[in-house]
Amino acid sequence: MSPELQEILVWIVKVHVIFLGMVGTAAITTLAERKVSAWMQYRHGPNRVGPQGLLQPLADGVKFLFKESLVPEGANKWMFRLAPALAAAPAMLTVAVIPFGPDVTLFGITTPFSIVDLDIGVMYILAIGGLSVYGVIVGGWASNSKYSLLGGLRASAQMVSYELSMILALLSIVAISGSLDLREVVLQQKTIGDWNILYQPLAFLLFLIAAFAETNRHPFDFAECEPELVSGFHTEYSAMRFALFALGEYCAMVVMSSLAVAFWFGGFSVPFLPDAHWALGIAAFCAKVTFFLFLFLWVRWTLPRFRFDQLMNLGWKVMLPLALANLFVTGAVIAYAPQLKALWQNLFHGAS
Amino acid sequence: MVIVRRKELSLSERLYLPEIVRGLSITFRKLFEKPITRQYPEEPLPKNEVTRGQPRLVVKDDGNIACVSCGMCEVACPAYAITIDGGETDRPIEREPKKFEIDMLRCILCGFCEEACPKDAIFMSDELELADYSRASLIYDLQKLKRPKSALQKRIDYVYRLNNRWRKSSSTS
Repeated sequence: MSPELQEILVWIVKVHVIFLGMVGTAAITTLAERKVSAWMQYRHGPNRVGPQGLLQPLADGVKFLFKESLVPEGANKWMFRLAPALAAAPAMLTVAVIPFGPDVTLFGITTPFSIVDLDIGVMYILAIGGLSVYGVIVGGWASNSKYSLLGGLRASAQMVSYELSMILALLSIVAISGSLDLREVVLQQKTIGDWNILYQPLAFLLFLIAAFAETNRHPFDFAECEPELVSGFHTEYSAMRFALFALGEYCAMVVMSSLAVAFWFGGFSVPFLPDAHWALGIAAFCAKVTFFLFLFLWVRWTLPRFRFDQLMNLGWKVMLPLALANLFVTGAVIAYAPQLKALWQNLFHGAS
Repeated sequence: MVIVRRKELSLSERLYLPEIVRGLSITFRKLFEKPITRQYPEEPLPKNEVTRGQPRLVVKDDGNIACVSCGMCEVACPAYAITIDGGETDRPIEREPKKFEIDMLRCILCGFCEEACPKDAIFMSDELELADYSRASLIYDLQKLKRPKSALQKRIDYVYRLNNRWRKSSSTS
């Protein structure tokens, strides 16, 4: 087998494993959402399909496939059909650069366990992730429904506002690791003492809040906002198109969790085992991502929804200044590190 | 006019985060508590003799139906759910129903038939489930209504107890 052919084959296998893995995770998360919400409310949750309801996502999928896909009267037909794809595609594209594991050696072939190792991975994620707002606003506008339009507008305002704080929070990590390559960022956090959460806790908090807002999850799910807007931008959608919106949302959750893990919690590095086997690394990454996915569900079934003006106040008056200040301080510390070190030594060690 | 003064929030409350953590810890603890939902078809409702379910006809221990098709229940029924057609037999009790139908879609489970019956032939059972694919199959005929006396014994005893209590109190006054 020629090296080129082998490379293409490896690439195809990797794409399938990672993409199906992510979509599968998203499907399981829909079940987990219903189960966790049920347990928190003393209920059982879905338990009819398969053992303990484990096959529920499959049943949901079959149901979505067989339902009628309605297009409302007066809707812009092409935009209406395009919107679900626009909503789902960005989340699925960003998964390409996420490093799910260290170098994997299988059948004598060694390859990094991510679809591509882009040296501007962070840029790529932010650029593609920024497109996800189009799915929401196009879906809201094309539906020819006041609820959808309001939901879409709110969601776009919210996503644009919180994107700023999210980017600034990520930038402070980029500043301290000096790389836009996600794998590089992860590799710099070999041991638990190197995890960025210890150096940038504020940035993590800002990112986490912004991630909730970006994925339109509680307590910031103004795009849906059931009591006021029926179900927001996807009110008029049914069948597989509706499922695509849901799939996009859950994939975005997986991506956001992966980003949080990669940037702050050492990615695929195993705590206390710096030279662990690659399988253990992938397992560690999955475990960390699972925790964050659970956090998404946990927060959803705990907190009430913010009011829209509170959301905007929080975004522009609290998070943005904090993120800017955090980036500024980080930059200053990096730029004046030698001087600061000298000052420190003069003050404490020089005197003695 | 009532003036409601809002509680002044402390700094930790205005910061959201400590309160959010408190809320999260509460929901996390609830995660492990036992569900209180009843899994209905598997875990049926508790029933006892007071349960007033669908009316059923008593089949006496000798195998004959207790009903003499007098028509009292038919008259008492406020929903016109009962239809009776009487006939003769060779037994000492000369009458028995040839047709006895209760339209379960009309029946309101009021128990008037049970009260009206002079022969202890119809009682409210504890059977409550009512589901089928057609209206016609929900018009119950004799075969579907017959129950051995032992199956209804608890209810029969209960009704007797109830009536005796009423008789005592009325006779003393």
